[in-house]
Amino acid sequence: MKSFTLLAVPAAIVCFQASPSFAQSAAAQTVTGTITDASDRSPLPGVTVVVKGTTVGASTDPNGQFTLSLPAGSSALVVSAVGYETQTVNAVGGAIRIALKADVKQLSEVVVTGYSEQNRKTLTSAISSVKGDALKDIPAASPDQLLQGKAPGVQVSANSGVPGGGIFIRIRGSNSVNASNDPLYVVDGVFINNTNLIATGLGNQVSSNPLADLNPQDIESIEILKDANATAIYGSRGANGVVLITTKRGKAGDKTRITFNTYHGWSKAAKQYDLVTGPELAELENERFLNDGGNPVQLPYRSVASGGRGLPEEQPTYDRLSDVFRTAQTQSYELSAAGGSDKTQFYIGAGYFQQESIARPSAFDRFSLRVNLDNSVTDKLRIGTSTALARTHRNVSSNDNNPVGVINSALFPRTNLPVYNPDGSYAKYGSFDNHQALIDNLNNDAVGTRVISNVYSEYRFLKNLTLRSSWSIDFNDMYENNFNNTLILAGQPRGTASSYLSRDITLLNEQTLNYNVELGENHSLQALVGNTLQRNTFQRTSLLGQQFPGNDLTTIASAATQTGSSSRSQAGLVSFFGKATYSYKSRYTADVSVRADASSRFGADQRWGYFPAVGLGWRLGEEGFIQNLNIFQELKLRASVGKTGNQAGISDFAALGLVQGGANYLDLPGTAPLQLANPNLSWESTRQWNVGLDAAVLDNRVLLELNYYDKYTSGLLLNVPVPRKTGFASVVENYGAVSNKGFEAQATVNWLNKGPLQWSTTVNLARNVNKIQKLAAPITTGSRDIFRLEEGAPLYSFWLYHQTGVNPESGDAEYEDVNGDGQLTVADRQLVGNAWPDYFGGLTNSVTYKGVDFGFSLNFEQGAKIMNMNRFFLVHGGTQSNIGYLREQLDRWQNPGDQTDIPRLTTNAASNNYGGVVQNLSDRYLEDGSFLRLRTLTLGYTIPKETLAKARLSSVRVYVQAANLFTLTPYSGLDPEVNSQSGVSNTKNFDWATVPQPRTLQVGVTLGL
Amino acid sequence: MKSTIHYLFFAALLGATTLSITACNDLLEPTPVQQLADDKAITDAGSARSATIGVYDRVQAYYQLNWPVLGFLPGDNVRFNGTLNQFLQIDQNQLSADNVLITEAWTQMYQAINGANNVLAALPAINDPLLPAAEKNQLLGEAYFLRALVYFDLGRGWGGVPLILTPTRSKENGAGLRRSTLAQTYDQVLADLTQAEALLPETATRNRAVKAAARALRARLHLYRQQWSEAETYATQVIGSSNYRLVTPYRAISTAPFLSQESVFELTFSNSDANSMWNNWFPSALGGQFNFQPLPAAITLLNDPATGGSRSALLASTTINGSSVTYGNLYSRSAQRDDPSYVLRLAEQYLIRAEARAKQNKLTDALADLNAVRSRAGVEPSKAATADALLLAIENERRVEFAFEADRWFDLVRTGRAATVLGVTDQRRWLFPIPFNDLVADPSLEQNPGY
Repeated sequence: MKSFTLLAVPAAIVCFQASPSFAQSAAAQTVTGTITDASDRSPLPGVTVVVKGTTVGASTDPNGQFTLSLPAGSSALVVSAVGYETQTVNAVGGAIRIALKADVKQLSEVVVTGYSEQNRKTLTSAISSVKGDALKDIPAASPDQLLQGKAPGVQVSANSGVPGGGIFIRIRGSNSVNASNDPLYVVDGVFINNTNLIATGLGNQVSSNPLADLNPQDIESIEILKDANATAIYGSRGANGVVLITTKRGKAGDKTRITFNTYHGWSKAAKQYDLVTGPELAELENERFLNDGGNPVQLPYRSVASGGRGLPEEQPTYDRLSDVFRTAQTQSYELSAAGGSDKTQFYIGAGYFQQESIARPSAFDRFSLRVNLDNSVTDKLRIGTSTALARTHRNVSSNDNNPVGVINSALFPRTNLPVYNPDGSYAKYGSFDNHQALIDNLNNDAVGTRVISNVYSEYRFLKNLTLRSSWSIDFNDMYENNFNNTLILAGQPRGTASSYLSRDITLLNEQTLNYNVELGENHSLQALVGNTLQRNTFQRTSLLGQQFPGNDLTTIASAATQTGSSSRSQAGLVSFFGKATYSYKSRYTADVSVRADASSRFGADQRWGYFPAVGLGWRLGEEGFIQNLNIFQELKLRASVGKTGNQAGISDFAALGLVQGGANYLDLPGTAPLQLANPNLSWESTRQWNVGLDAAVLDNRVLLELNYYDKYTSGLLLNVPVPRKTGFASVVENYGAVSNKGFEAQATVNWLNKGPLQWSTTVNLARNVNKIQKLAAPITTGSRDIFRLEEGAPLYSFWLYHQTGVNPESGDAEYEDVNGDGQLTVADRQLVGNAWPDYFGGLTNSVTYKGVDFGFSLNFEQGAKIMNMNRFFLVHGGTQSNIGYLREQLDRWQNPGDQTDIPRLTTNAASNNYGGVVQNLSDRYLEDGSFLRLRTLTLGYTIPKETLAKARLSSVRVYVQAANLFTLTPYSGLDPEVNSQSGVSNTKNFDWATVPQPRTLQVGVTLGL
Repeated sequence: MKSTIHYLFFAALLGATTLSITACNDLLEPTPVQQLADDKAITDAGSARSATIGVYDRVQAYYQLNWPVLGFLPGDNVRFNGTLNQFLQIDQNQLSADNVLITEAWTQMYQAINGANNVLAALPAINDPLLPAAEKNQLLGEAYFLRALVYFDLGRGWGGVPLILTPTRSKENGAGLRRSTLAQTYDQVLADLTQAEALLPETATRNRAVKAAARALRARLHLYRQQWSEAETYATQVIGSSNYRLVTPYRAISTAPFLSQESVFELTFSNSDANSMWNNWFPSALGGQFNFQPLPAAITLLNDPATGGSRSALLASTTINGSSVTYGNLYSRSAQRDDPSYVLRLAEQYLIRAEARAKQNKLTDALADLNAVRSRAGVEPSKAATADALLLAIENERRVEFAFEADRWFDLVRTGRAATVLGVTDQRRWLFPIPFNDLVADPSLEQNPGY
């Protein structure tokens, strides 16, 4: 019903604006001209020249020349090009010369917004833009990782150093508990799936990042929509922010440019775990034995002659970690061609990227192809496509929570135990596999196929009125084949194999009607309405095989026992939306937008959600009284408020009371209750307001952007705990609230922007305060319930016992007795910190002198805590009979009077030192994870054009770069950027046998043909 | 040309818009293909059968790992040799309310109860010609039996628990319902077992409930309630049945294809419904994780011909790095992964009756029952002459007979000897803690003292 009301709006606009289109039809005269760069007088190709107030225009050829017919009565030409200040010139006929000045004002750029583009001058939203140039050369597989430290308020951290692995990304904090907190990604208008499809169990990590299917080299720009005014047009999917990725396209009249880009990198771990030697381990074990009241004659490490395992000093030391960590190679090759005639423009890019993990044997590679085409069929009709194809290959291996992971099996076994048995076979201890066996035999292949494609046609009814219809598909397919032979634990006893085919398909149809007009000198109006239909289908087929004839027959066809399963789920979304921007003299701007969404996931009566927003902008700098101050080249105030929704991350049928099959017994089919019904289930919604200020001072040398925001998410899609006596543990309800408040600041200083030496610095800083405002009951999550959600506390809070110290007399750990009942129980576990940084941000510096460019970028986080599970396991005081020790254990209490925070070695449960009620869940393993990291350091040289002329090359740049050259941090683990349990919701900063961020040295060259 | 294109374009656009409107309903009401609405789940013969099988599946879930662990690990036969603290707590009798294994077991058990309640509520109203009365009775009897089993286990683990007897459709089900006393819990078990015994068939099926299974569990219930004569009566009914006998050698109980004549009720696994329990017992050199390691005292008892006899088959050894390592071998089907979970065995009925008779001072009969179990294991008959000596001999017999099954801890708590034998002097530790998370979610739930 609502649909018809909304569809009526475009019709009204059509009728209302019929008249101005007559202006074009008078006689014309021809203008020609040459456009050059004001600084070096070189001709500029691809510059757009438009007759002011019309769509009549042309673009310059490779020699910087253009020709166009000037309609009678018009003489003003608007000349614009990316990176240059736009000029308006009066054409008096004949040949004209125009010199364009390079634009250093960030404020005048065009920004891609939801379903349209807008000049930054009139923007009222909080949107960060990152240009493709700023992203190039960073040796990371996926574009989201490149945003690290580049955009204020956008927290990006890699979960691990595994190439192509998952990324933690939050735009202005986390809104949600059980629904997704990841932003919506839109690539050239296609809403893409961002769900990890790898089914193979790899511990608790998110094994793949679907964004790694995109080649970063194809990206023209990334826009991050942060406030409600920018995201409300994405309605129910906008609450976590929206990342718009625009890929490169050809320009009209551009000579075909061919670019070849390659680099090669070498990566290593910057730090290594520090384990005890064999003799030290034996000393610790003997001491533990005595502390536990053992008979000194029976020490475990006594001479072999007396029946022991040998004296401590006789113990050998085996280094397993060096077998796992390697110097890993990265290589990237990319060839692209871009250009176009007046009618047809194209961009074609092909790339190959290959990256090894610094921990054997993981690796990632990707072949990618992109074709972007635009064609003007007639003056009014334009068609085109943006199509990307990628094939990825991952060799995956597990880490954390998994004794058969490679790092686990090298890190945890005791260092005095040999790697091989006397007969040469792999030696295995306790629950752990042999690391070398895993390196030699792991055989887990995941091959992804991705097609993201959009075709559109655009019809211009009137000069200012355009109807666009587009059809898109995001096809994401993952095919996994794993074979575990008998040499590794997972393959016991006679070989196991699994094969998964997972497919996630989104189909999208979208219509938008765009209206754009300048009414006289002072008024401009931009409006659009549209609708989308979306269907998402997920399906997976899995096959398992056991008992193979030998280690050489690896497909399930050879297995004696073969079992299989398949699953399927589907969701739909129907939406209508509209927005309008009115600007007076480019000085006062008002935005309004609304979206209506209906989702199949909710109860029939609760299906529709409405998401409105408004934004206001006032360019104070244009007012006389400010201009008279002669301080500001730009001064703008912005304010917006709106509502967005979230429905991602819950199951497709979350509102229904369901019974599920598969509860089988005796190989007979069985059914069992799955979930409770909640017919009232609906959106969770986020109200956000934002105020901002943009300023440019000191002759545009200093640019400043400030934002303050306040978000309140209510009706959380929450797994509300229910009494377990009901037979259920939780039900999905709209209950609870989370708030995020914070500020973002970004300053760009153009120290030198004229002459041969150019130097600029951009620094950004953000703070977000997250708080759970309302929760039905505390919820624990993560391994050992280390995380707990409580009303009044932030998400990602650590729930541990607070160790007050180690008694210098007894050597036993002492913990805070929170409820003061004189005994230690679970009631004394408390929230002792959280994983949120107090402040985070980045700094980018770039210097160019003639052909030489030098740059570096830093990023930092301050105040986040990390739970170091490697210490939790490896400083165990003797309670773990199959795990070795970190050297830190040597600092244990030994004699009365010792001052230390590492308690006496003992397995006695009553002491609660390492076991007992406390279960080693002491906050002595919780650490400050602040860091300052030199993300990249680059030195490049662009060879002068004159030198290249003979070689028939148009440009050559060579560079060397170091990534993660240093990290300043108090954190004792390998790397503070870590999130081992990325697959477990509501956990963060958990370090458990995870591949650290590598240090990389890289050389590269870019050739323009 | 132009007009053709325009025409086509308009047609396409019109098509798209029409599609938009007609597609809405399809898009917004997809049908789940792998779930059923909960109120339509039990409607005919087929769905009633599936729902009953589903209850077995949930019982299987907690009997696969958690329940045996809670039975043997707090005792003195097995130590924890792995890395997970929740197991270490159980081994050290230092449970805390946030122990995740306790939470998991508690959750699985009430899931099984809800499954049984669904069957019991929906099945009587079903009139399907494909569901003969005998089968309908059997399915009902099975649901009663399984509910009784779970409530019995809840009772001996936690003490009195909330008694939920109707299927859950909303989270308000059972709101305000507090924990019953242990006596009330056991009364409910008795009521369900009485129903089950009446409804179940008198066949010799061993992996689904039959009359004998209800009687055997009832004998155990009476033993726990110290109702000696009833315990004797019901154990006698099982022992007297021609369907059951003690099998030799001892290892035959746990040898494929399982379902030996000694088994009264066991939960069958198969390769597609796998039991990975072996993985916890086997050393990593043999592909396991070696989480559970037999203690030296238990190894001595099992290997001693005077105490263990053929029960030494519960152990095996292998050489790791030059030295011999002994491991538990009850769950040994690493390739087929079809080790059953043992719930009720005839040997236990003998030992129940022995104890019940000893308590009633029928010492000769009691000794005969004890020695039936011993002679099957190839051990010399006991010569215990007094009631106390007999009771101690029975306790020790249970320790080796059910060394790696869900028995030792519950047995010592039942007889009040956990302090003497295991050194767990704080009697509050004889009951498991109610999961901390559930206390938070359910205000009417009360924690056991000491946690």
